[in-house]
Amino acid sequence: MNRIDAIALWIVAALGAAVLLSGLWESPRESRRMRGERTEVVFWHFWGGEDRAVVRDVVDRFNASQDHYWVRDVAVPGNNLDVKIFLAVTGGDPPDLVNQDDPIVADWARRGALTPLDELASHEEIEELDDWLFPAARRLGQYDERYYALCNGLDVRALYYNETLLKQYGLAPPRTLDELDHIAQTTSLVDNRGNVERFGFLPDARRLLAWGAVFGGRFYDESTSRITADDPANVRALDWMTSYRDRYGADQVAGFSLGDQSLPGKTFPLLSGRYVVVMDGQWRVRDIAASQQRQRTAGEPVTEYGACPLPPPAGGQSEAGWINGNFFVVPRGAKNPEGAWAFMKFWSGFGGHETEAAQTCAAGGWIPVASAVVAEPEFQSYLDRQPLMRVFVDLAASPRQIPIPVIPGASYYDRQLRDAGQRAMYDAGAPPPRTLLEQVTERVQAHVDRTLESPDAR
Amino acid sequence: MRDDRPHPLTHVVLFAAAAVFAAPLVWMVLCSLKPAVELTENPHALVPSRWEWGNYAEAVTSMPFLRYLRNSLVYCLGSVACTVFSCSLAAYGFARLRWRGRNVLFAVLIATMLLPWHVTMIPRFLLLRELGLYNSLAALIVPTLLGDAFYIFLLRQFFLTIPEELSEAARIDGLGEWGIYRRIVLPLSVPALATVALFQFVHAWNDFSGPLLYLSDADKFPLAYGLEQFVSSYSDQTHLLLAASVLFALPIVVLFFFTQRTYLRGIATTGLKG
Amino acid sequence: MSQHILRGRFRDAATPWLFVGPWLLGLVTLVAFPFAASLFLSFCRYDMLSAPQYVGLHNYQRLAQEIVAGEGFARALYNTAYYALLSVPLSIALGIALAVMLSWNVRGRSVYRTVFFLPSVVPIVAASVLWIWLLDPNDGLVNWVLSWFGLPPQLWLKGHEEVLWTGHFGSKDALVLMSLWGVGNFMIIYLAAIGDVPRQLYEAAELDGAGAVRRFRHVTLPMLTPVIFFNLVMGLIQSVQAFTQIYIVSEGTGQPAGSLLLLSLFVFLSAFADLDMGYASAVAWVLFLLLVVATAALFRWSRSWVHYQGMR
Repeated sequence: MNRIDAIALWIVAALGAAVLLSGLWESPRESRRMRGERTEVVFWHFWGGEDRAVVRDVVDRFNASQDHYWVRDVAVPGNNLDVKIFLAVTGGDPPDLVNQDDPIVADWARRGALTPLDELASHEEIEELDDWLFPAARRLGQYDERYYALCNGLDVRALYYNETLLKQYGLAPPRTLDELDHIAQTTSLVDNRGNVERFGFLPDARRLLAWGAVFGGRFYDESTSRITADDPANVRALDWMTSYRDRYGADQVAGFSLGDQSLPGKTFPLLSGRYVVVMDGQWRVRDIAASQQRQRTAGEPVTEYGACPLPPPAGGQSEAGWINGNFFVVPRGAKNPEGAWAFMKFWSGFGGHETEAAQTCAAGGWIPVASAVVAEPEFQSYLDRQPLMRVFVDLAASPRQIPIPVIPGASYYDRQLRDAGQRAMYDAGAPPPRTLLEQVTERVQAHVDRTLESPDAR
Repeated sequence: MRDDRPHPLTHVVLFAAAAVFAAPLVWMVLCSLKPAVELTENPHALVPSRWEWGNYAEAVTSMPFLRYLRNSLVYCLGSVACTVFSCSLAAYGFARLRWRGRNVLFAVLIATMLLPWHVTMIPRFLLLRELGLYNSLAALIVPTLLGDAFYIFLLRQFFLTIPEELSEAARIDGLGEWGIYRRIVLPLSVPALATVALFQFVHAWNDFSGPLLYLSDADKFPLAYGLEQFVSSYSDQTHLLLAASVLFALPIVVLFFFTQRTYLRGIATTGLKG
Repeated sequence: MSQHILRGRFRDAATPWLFVGPWLLGLVTLVAFPFAASLFLSFCRYDMLSAPQYVGLHNYQRLAQEIVAGEGFARALYNTAYYALLSVPLSIALGIALAVMLSWNVRGRSVYRTVFFLPSVVPIVAASVLWIWLLDPNDGLVNWVLSWFGLPPQLWLKGHEEVLWTGHFGSKDALVLMSLWGVGNFMIIYLAAIGDVPRQLYEAAELDGAGAVRRFRHVTLPMLTPVIFFNLVMGLIQSVQAFTQIYIVSEGTGQPAGSLLLLSLFVFLSAFADLDMGYASAVAWVLFLLLVVATAALFRWSRSWVHYQGMR
């Protein structure tokens, strides 16, 4: 071969020798480092952006608070998490602790990919945990009557409203569904070409779970183990959501909703005036505070915002809605489950760590999973600084906050409900809500039955 | 020999085709140098409003680029060394020695080239797990110590062209087969070995499914896999993604330009003799 | 003296095995054993976390049911067939066309050759990221160029339709487009093969009054048939095994709406997302058998149109 080829390959070879030598210095199994006397706890999480710094802070505080374990937090990017974790579990080198917020507890537990908490803690501790947690947190972590996950933060949704605007119209925050509809009709703005500029309120097509709960519906019957998406209350809820499509037109509704998602940097649409009332989670409290601060420094009049629970219709449930959360799971085969358990307790506050947990939740804007943590002075003063959060925290204690049923195929169920909601609200030619929900019930039930009939159901 | 006279329309067609083929690459580099805002507001602008070289710096600092690069080099060079060694050994056995069962096993070798990888994927994963190699670069490198049908085939074809008289003379001089392999055949085969080394280097540099299956510790990710992780975390920052991709592709493109002849000859050989 | 000879003979007999030893070891442990093991696993239920459980033909029955219902495995098979049947013939045609033009005496031939070959050198991961951007329905270059010709913007990687049936370019069509961009690899092989064609044949054709196109059809093309056949088989195998670009552009899920669940991704997800190794192994085996049948059929068919001429 010619000279240039030869030179190129020699350069590569020289570089290579150097690199190879450096590479061979490190043994393949360095992930189980001991730091002094401590054993390492590998913790995978999926937080990004500013939250990552908060996570780092919690980890540092934990590491400083004791000298048995050392937590190493690893930020793992978002897609195909189950594949990554299963590969690690089946490969024999899983992380010790994983944070998740998708409804996968039942699926993973059924597959035997998770270590149940009763293998990490004594019977008394588990009983204590049962008493200590909020009802929703309890439900989120259990499958088949065993704890497989420990909730470390709850996500609650409520209505945010633009108080300033409401006052202009002489309206009060909605306490019933009729009042909400009235606000929607009165404060919506339509331009002279018939396009909607501002929706007083528009139900989120993906959140039938929330409104179904508000109407008093249940999505799963534990006693019979049947899917009940077509519960009459759920149908009424979807009917109500669809009424907005009928009033404004499917195209308007669809186009406007999709427009929310293309706002730069995922801005809260309430802040940009697209809505007067919006349903969203407690993380928006931070966004609102930041927006008001900007107005203050710019010398503009500050917009007032408020929050209230989802208003029920006549005969519906108050303080109801869809609740979700972040939770910790310990993969099967984890090398340091004791360390993982210690860190889980520190973060969530269980086992005497309420004060630290209050600090964590205040820093991250997360909702605690137990009333004991809420009662801590540090968290109370945080609530004083952010009064809107109180609405969400109070809701977290309500037993009428319902999570996606913790069953195998929960993610599939969630997707089906979202699809049904979007079809109902965006598609003028969609079948009526009752039919849609009956289809969902059938499909999901078949899916669940198929997964449960497998020979190795645990 | 070739049929020399071109069809009249050739120039036009070739030029148009070349423009179509080159456009994506040119576009990739151009867009990687645009400020982020421009990509959302004016995505079709031909020339960047500002040459944002900072995108490259930001891409490199947003991920453990040097670590990924180092892992890639360890994987590439390690596997090249192992591959060249094991494949030349086997090729020598198939080309320069006569032994019973040789032709049968060679047919088996050819057959394995047609085997789709998913058939063996799961048991291979299990095997490497049992050997305790999961989550280590060794899981990717060690299998190359056991040869690769494609390269063995390529080298065997080449070894066949070395005159038998050379081996005969060496044997008479008392050299054993290993000596012949080392002192006569290998030195004469540098072009073919270079081809194998080159192809394996590129293959290892580009390998994605290997790290996907066998690595879970971010410290060990090679660039190919690290880039994909970067893409998932920064999915809305196209300018960084493109900059990182250019950085990842650049060494291979440069390597190609330096070794064009070897590279192209290698590809041509595989096709023709196949 | 005789001992020396005996030892020498033994060494002679053992030597070849020492040379092919590593490869042989690899053959047994990384090919033959996994091959047999995956057949065994296809008759089991196995999630890698506990011991395999024998379930007889359960997995294959499930495959049969899915074929009847047109979902799961059947869908993956369809997706793969659509992609392969589009990309392989198109790649061959494009590769030959480019190679033929490059074989003629055009100015700047080596520059053209480099331009056409370079995309196949670009690593697949980087190329996939690039194509995601190029095929963006709103901001991508491709849709913008289409708009110059008055064509409506296409969904490409975000759409689940297929252009052959609905006239809208969807995700699989995008994959075909991406594979055509990498045709340089094949083009080089054709170029080399064309170079091997004896000049006399062209001269004879010219004497008979054949123009460029007829020379191509009657001289070049028949000479190329062995290489075409080789690339047909390799192309088929490659498109069935395609994984990396599919994984990256569909974010590892086969989205949108499962339109990118081709067989390799399907096997991977069945194994590592559903933890259903038995089923995944059954799929892999059926895939393998289909490939064997297809390859054998191709070999049979090739006898009617491939002209070998003492090259082998």
